[in-house]
Amino acid sequence: MNRRAISSFCSVICPTLRRTSMTLLLVCGACFAVAQEDASHFTNATDTNDVAEKLGEHSVSTTTIITPLRVGALAFAAPDAVYKRWAPTLARVSQETGIPLELIPLTPNELVEKVSREELDFIIGNALITVAFKKDYGVSHLLTLMPRNQVSPEHAVGSALIAKQSLNIRHFQDLMHLKVVSSDPNAFGGFQILAGEMVKQGLNPLADLKHLSFVGFPQDKLLDQVLDGRADVAILPTCVLESALARHLIPPNALHILLPKTDSDIGCQTSSQLYPSYAFSKLGKTDHKAASAIVRALLAITAQDTQAVAGHYKYWSVPVNDSHVFALLKNLQRWPFVTNWQRLAEDATPWALLIAIGLLLGYFHHLRVKRLVVKRTKALSDEMAQHKHTQKALFEQQKQFYKAQRVLLTGEMASGIAHELNQPLAGIRYLTQGCIYRLDETQTDLKQALNKTILQVDRAQSTIKRFRQFCQQPSVYQNCDLKDLIDETLNLMQPDFKRMKLVPQLALWPITVSVDQSLMQQVLVNLIRNALDAMETSHKPRLQISVLDDAGQVHIVITDSGVGLNDDALQRLFFPFETSKANGLGLGMVVCKRIVEEHGGKIRAFNNQKATTELDDLKARGNLTFISAIPPKGLTVLVTLPLKGQIDV
Amino acid sequence: MCDLYLVDDDQDVLDSLSWMLEALGHSTECYISADRFLASVDLSQPAIAILDIQMPGTDGIELLTKIKSANSPISVIMLTGHGTISMAVQAIQKGAIDFLEKPVDGDKLNHLLAKALEQTNNAFTEHNLQASIVERINTLTPRELQVMHKVLQGKLNKVIASELNIAQRTIELHRQKVMQKMQVSNIAELAYLMANSKV
Repeated sequence: MNRRAISSFCSVICPTLRRTSMTLLLVCGACFAVAQEDASHFTNATDTNDVAEKLGEHSVSTTTIITPLRVGALAFAAPDAVYKRWAPTLARVSQETGIPLELIPLTPNELVEKVSREELDFIIGNALITVAFKKDYGVSHLLTLMPRNQVSPEHAVGSALIAKQSLNIRHFQDLMHLKVVSSDPNAFGGFQILAGEMVKQGLNPLADLKHLSFVGFPQDKLLDQVLDGRADVAILPTCVLESALARHLIPPNALHILLPKTDSDIGCQTSSQLYPSYAFSKLGKTDHKAASAIVRALLAITAQDTQAVAGHYKYWSVPVNDSHVFALLKNLQRWPFVTNWQRLAEDATPWALLIAIGLLLGYFHHLRVKRLVVKRTKALSDEMAQHKHTQKALFEQQKQFYKAQRVLLTGEMASGIAHELNQPLAGIRYLTQGCIYRLDETQTDLKQALNKTILQVDRAQSTIKRFRQFCQQPSVYQNCDLKDLIDETLNLMQPDFKRMKLVPQLALWPITVSVDQSLMQQVLVNLIRNALDAMETSHKPRLQISVLDDAGQVHIVITDSGVGLNDDALQRLFFPFETSKANGLGLGMVVCKRIVEEHGGKIRAFNNQKATTELDDLKARGNLTFISAIPPKGLTVLVTLPLKGQIDV
Repeated sequence: MCDLYLVDDDQDVLDSLSWMLEALGHSTECYISADRFLASVDLSQPAIAILDIQMPGTDGIELLTKIKSANSPISVIMLTGHGTISMAVQAIQKGAIDFLEKPVDGDKLNHLLAKALEQTNNAFTEHNLQASIVERINTLTPRELQVMHKVLQGKLNKVIASELNIAQRTIELHRQKVMQKMQVSNIAELAYLMANSKV
């Protein structure tokens, strides 16, 4: 197999692959290593057969192990350069261990993202990012890089402030008004270490450096800017200036390092403390056996190996003390450019979720309370409306009752007066007509006069009749529940009961009757009021009201424990203008009788002793469940109404 | 001419009505209450009663009911100060011959009295007839009653004889006795009498 052929094949295929996906399979990586060797004309011991052999091995291993382990390498501006730096090393490791590796150059953000998703197995990153990953994702630091030209892996990287010879400063504060350039805020060796120094001095590098700008890579560009005078100070990693001088890119003695540290471990001047260089780390999930094999392979690399040369390092060392990196991270974590937002977000997520849930619950509670308030308010206003309505209805009822009473009383008065006038008028008419009959044929004058008398009487009577008809109220019959009617009436009279501290004893049940409700209410009110009046002086007033139905009739029994009536008064109870009350008109019972009779019923009153026999009679028919024995003294009124539809009209 | 009773709780009205009726040739007996009327009047005799409806104690309607329930031939005319339709219907249903508003015109009342007189006499006659029929029937022996019913059904003597399982001659004798006791001369009269009977 021809080496040139392989390298040309690889150079065609690999960049295409790389460009499209930024990933390379190790086969390509191996090709690349070979190609690079070829291109840079290294005189190497590896012969074509070896390469062929290696490639053969690889083709075997790729068939057995399908998914290669992925190695993420930190890269800022030039992933290609980073790829070229690490690919030979990984190719060698892969070859020695038989573990396929895939090298993926990643920007800091991509790296963080992939680490958080655990899409990588190993990381090659600067000390700071490694420490951050250790802290946030439990990444294990396996090896520290020993860069070329350095003596200690612990003190390998620092930051240098580079300015023209003419410019010198004594403190970091002096930087505040100078034009400062740096390559990238995430660059460890350049900006971040210096920022850490400034934070230690109590400065805020992003806010206090008024004329700070990040101009990107390559780093030599910054030196040119300082030389041109476009910038006063360049923040760069240590050794950049020395390397540029060595390569004769800038004139000697034109630039110098500001605030140089004297006890520098490295061959270059630094403006800051020194930190370890790159670290090789594994993620928590990565298989430790593979990691051990890889570490062994890496440790085997010596400074003379081509891989070390390509990677600009001497060898890999065991991890060094990185406590000062931690301190730097801690300092820098106060500043947003190194803050691991994703990590913070992840940390904050449960809290945010908790707060969100809390807020949500609060909001629900608020909604619930609001709804409850609305509900209660509505209930309250409903109740108020109901109350108002009830009150209005009661008031209306009362008004109607009084109106009905007035009308009835007027009617009854008219009726009473009519009756009282009618009797003498009848007498006059009879007498006159009797006289006429007694006249003989010759007494025509008298007869004429007497006939006129009769006409006058008739006229008077027709007037009375019209008057009475005018005052009479037409009845409106409706089916209603007698129990409800009585309850309603008692409700209407509640104040009277309260005044007398009387609780009526009731034996009611629903019975449907066809009555004029307002008229029948008049009857009930009149009867109950009479009963109450009769008990005005009584110490223990008792009022019993019961209803019972009996063969198509319904009886309403109202019994009081009042003074009762003598026989004469009882006989004339239902006659107009008969009253025992000082201010009574004597029409109440007449009204009752008229209404009851108009309903086709009967009304009777008994003194209680006599009522007992009458009620016993009803009891005997088996449908009277009177509450208790009726009081010995007092009046019982028995109203009998036909059940609905049985009025004789 | 029969008795004419006036019942009203108002003495003056009674007197004046009586005065008018006397002028028309009716002699009247006045009662101030239903109870007094019931206490002194023989309800079985033909008579006319003019009753006021509104009275304390037993009122006119109740009195009417009592009169009619006593199976009296008395004709009743109801008077009222202010009548209602239901009251009128009730009165007529209970057997009053008329229901008039007070004061009633003499001529109208006179006319009505003539009708009432006729009615009470008829009622009395009818009443008596019924009583006599009952009396006559009561004189029959059970066998005679049996034979009479069969005769009234139009059955021949021999049929009756075979039905009752007695001799035809005996049936003839029973039949003769029935005619005699029922005071009729032929079967047609007997049938007429029994048809009018309410027994």
